[in-house]
Order: sequence, then structure tokens, then C-alpha cells
Amino acid sequence: MAILTVENLTKRYGGFEALKGVSLSMDRGETVAIIGSSGSGKSTLLRCINTLERVSGGRIEIDGEVLVDTINGQVKYPPEKELRRICMKTSMVFQQFNLFPHLTCLENITIAPIKILGQNRADAIAKADRLLRLVGMESKADSFPSMLSGGQQQRVAIARALAVDPQLMLFDEPTSALDPELTAEVISVIAKLAQQDMTMLIVTHEMEFARTVADRVLFFEDGEIIAGGTAAEFFENQQNERIRRFLNGFQK
Amino acid sequence: MDLSYIALLMPSLLRGLGQTLWLFALTLIFSLPLGLVFTLGSISKIPPLRWLSRLYIWVFRGTPLMLQLFFIYYGLPFLGVAFDRTTSAVVTFVLNYAAYFAEIYRAGIQSIDRGQHEAAKTLGFTPWQTMRLIILPQTISRVIPPVCNETITLVKDTALVTAIGVGELLKAAEGAVNRDMDITAYILVALIYLALTFVLTVVYERLEKRFSRHQKKEA
Repeated sequence: MAILTVENLTKRYGGFEALKGVSLSMDRGETVAIIGSSGSGKSTLLRCINTLERVSGGRIEIDGEVLVDTINGQVKYPPEKELRRICMKTSMVFQQFNLFPHLTCLENITIAPIKILGQNRADAIAKADRLLRLVGMESKADSFPSMLSGGQQQRVAIARALAVDPQLMLFDEPTSALDPELTAEVISVIAKLAQQDMTMLIVTHEMEFARTVADRVLFFEDGEIIAGGTAAEFFENQQNERIRRFLNGFQK
Repeated sequence: MDLSYIALLMPSLLRGLGQTLWLFALTLIFSLPLGLVFTLGSISKIPPLRWLSRLYIWVFRGTPLMLQLFFIYYGLPFLGVAFDRTTSAVVTFVLNYAAYFAEIYRAGIQSIDRGQHEAAKTLGFTPWQTMRLIILPQTISRVIPPVCNETITLVKDTALVTAIGVGELLKAAEGAVNRDMDITAYILVALIYLALTFVLTVVYERLEKRFSRHQKKEA
């Protein structure tokens, strides 16, 4: 069954159309990479899926529940509480990490499980320890984010996002703020998650990463998905001239 | 300077200092939290709450503290509310300083990166949980310096209450100067005010350090 269904999604900012009718569907366990030029609407799509932005039209379904629908041109969201519950099936990793600077790494990971999900402290900490090991940051549990490199911060941010047991992980250019060396360590963590069949929707500019980690690739241009397919077809056998040029621009 | 004369002055100066510190402490205790109430009001999504809070802040920051003292001590009795001198002074100071603190807090809250709100939202925090658990704790270290500044102003503003006949440090000195035709008392109170602000500065520096622990980088 599809974990995510997006139908004919539109998003306008004033006169600017950031998304012009985007449709896609994801199955459980799939890793989908979204690539395309900056400003083509990739991040906006993610931000509509977790309601950081409200859509202008279309329908989104997460795990069989309607997040937003458009009926006779009227955009309809469920009540705030219901919306929050549905959104919590997703979790997000940001380009700028956005760790909470006043909390240690461990506290960053446990705060939502304890305060929001109501888990008891010991369980939350045990789980955070497991997640820290998964991202290779167990030695920094008691450090504050300001003491860590960008790559380390991003790995903790991934652990934090996983701690709320999301069914769908959204990655918004997770390595764009990192230098190549740090990018590699973050990518290897995401690749590990892909092997564990985590469902992930990843906006990225790392073509090699998309090629090796993603099951499927979607290509965005001007607010539309203009091409897509399995990673192998997309990269090895690309027919579209425009996309070939885009991909070639990255080869180096 | 004559030491025995200083000894003679001290009891009345210390009494004045006591009154000053009392007013100072009460003002801080009530205005620091009250300011937060007006801050949350002024950034609230509920329009009437927002307008009322902003109106309040505008009025109390926009008129002289002395005038506010007069209104509350001489004016309120006409509306059937009469406070004694000391209560009037405390009420006025609390209301006035809450408005200033409210603006300091608001600036602090709004200086927190939007990414913090977004991260909290994606983890399922409600707006109020985000404010309480994520935004306010980070705001504290940022607002300590301006709050310290405002507090030092408060120490000196307490001298205004003589306008409605409340005794305090400066008034005590003025009495002695007029009686003895000697400015020693003024010099003594200047030193006392300086000592007070020095202590405050040290206290706030400590607090600032304590609340910004997490910003320290490892060497």
C-alpha cells in the first residue's frame, strides 16, 4: 500500500507558482530522490507534505489518511490536532540541521518522545542511545550541538527525526550545507537507513548519492515533475536532452 | 571628610537604602513575569489580545514614569481606587517596567531562528510547547544583557518616588544636605548607587554565563 500519495498539488506564493500540479506516490520501504535545479519546487513539495507550507490545491494522503484535499476548488485541512497527528507520521531532516542549541545531543533526541509522545524517560533514553549508535554519534551524547561539526550535527538531527518513529522520512537537501568530507559521513548514514527499508523522500543535489541510494528518481523543473524512473534507468539511459545536460553539469 | 559626621548620617541613609531596595525588589519580582504575559499577548494570534497588549506597552513606554506615578497616586482615587503612597509607587513601577521587559522579551523571542520553530513543528510540538520548551529557554541567555541594563535604570528610577512623598535613599541624603549645608551625604549616596549597580552587573554576568553554557565551543 502507498505510504504517500500526492495528487495534482499546487502551491502559489502571490503570483508565483512554485508547484504546478505535482503527483507522485511512494510505497513503504522505498527511497525516492528528488533532483532538479534550485528553485524548481523540490523543497516546497516536502514542506507541503509536513504542513510547514499550506497547499494552494490538490490532495495529499499519508498512510491512508487524508492530510489535505481540494473539493470544488476549496482546500480542506482537518482540524489542527488531527492534522498534527497525521503529520507526525512524517519526520524531517533540514539543510541547516536545526538542532536545539540549548539541549545536548541526547536531549535533542529524547525531548519529542518524552514531551510529545509521552514515553517514559528510561525508554526514550535507551532508544536515543540506539539511534546515536546507528548514526555513529554515541560518544557525543552529552555534547551540545555547538561543539559538533556540521556533519555530526546532521547525523544527530537524523537520529532526532527517527526518534518519533516516523513512517516517512523527509530529507531537505541534507548535505547542501556540508563540505564533501562531511557529506560522505551523512550519506553513509542515509544509505544505512535505506538498507533497513526506511521510507525516505530525499531532495538532493548529490547525483552519486541519488544514483546509489535511491530506488527511484524524480526530476523537478519549474514546479513540475518532468521525468522519473528507477535510479538505474534514469542515470544510465536518460533520453531527455535537458536532463542529460543537467546531469552532465554534475559530473566532475 | 569627618568620619564621625558620616557615622551620624549613616542610619538615615541606610533606612533610605532599605526603602529603595524594597521598591526595587518588589518591582523586579512582579514586573519580570508580568512582562512575559504582555510579550505573549503582543505576539498572540488572537487579535484583541494582541491589540490590548500592544496598547498597554505603548502607553506605559510612551509616557513619563513620573506622570504615571501621579496618575496612580492622585488620579486613581477619583475612580474609587486609592492606594497608599508605597503601594502606588510599587504598582506604578511594576506596570511601567513590565512594559519595557515585554519589549525586551519580544525582541529576544523574535531573534530565534525560524528553523527552530520548524524543527519543533515537524516533531509534533504544538505552538505553545514550542514556545515553552524550545524558544523561551533559548531566549533567556539573549535577553539577560538588555534586562540587566533595564534593571540598572530601575535602581536609579526609584529616586522618582519622592515625587509622591515616599522616602528613599536620595531623599534621605537630600534631607541631610539641606539641614547641614554639607554635600557629604550626596557623595555617600552616589557611592551606594554605584555599589548597587556593581553588584547587579556581577550577578547578571554570572547569570549570562550560566545560561549560555551550551554556546561554549570546545577548544
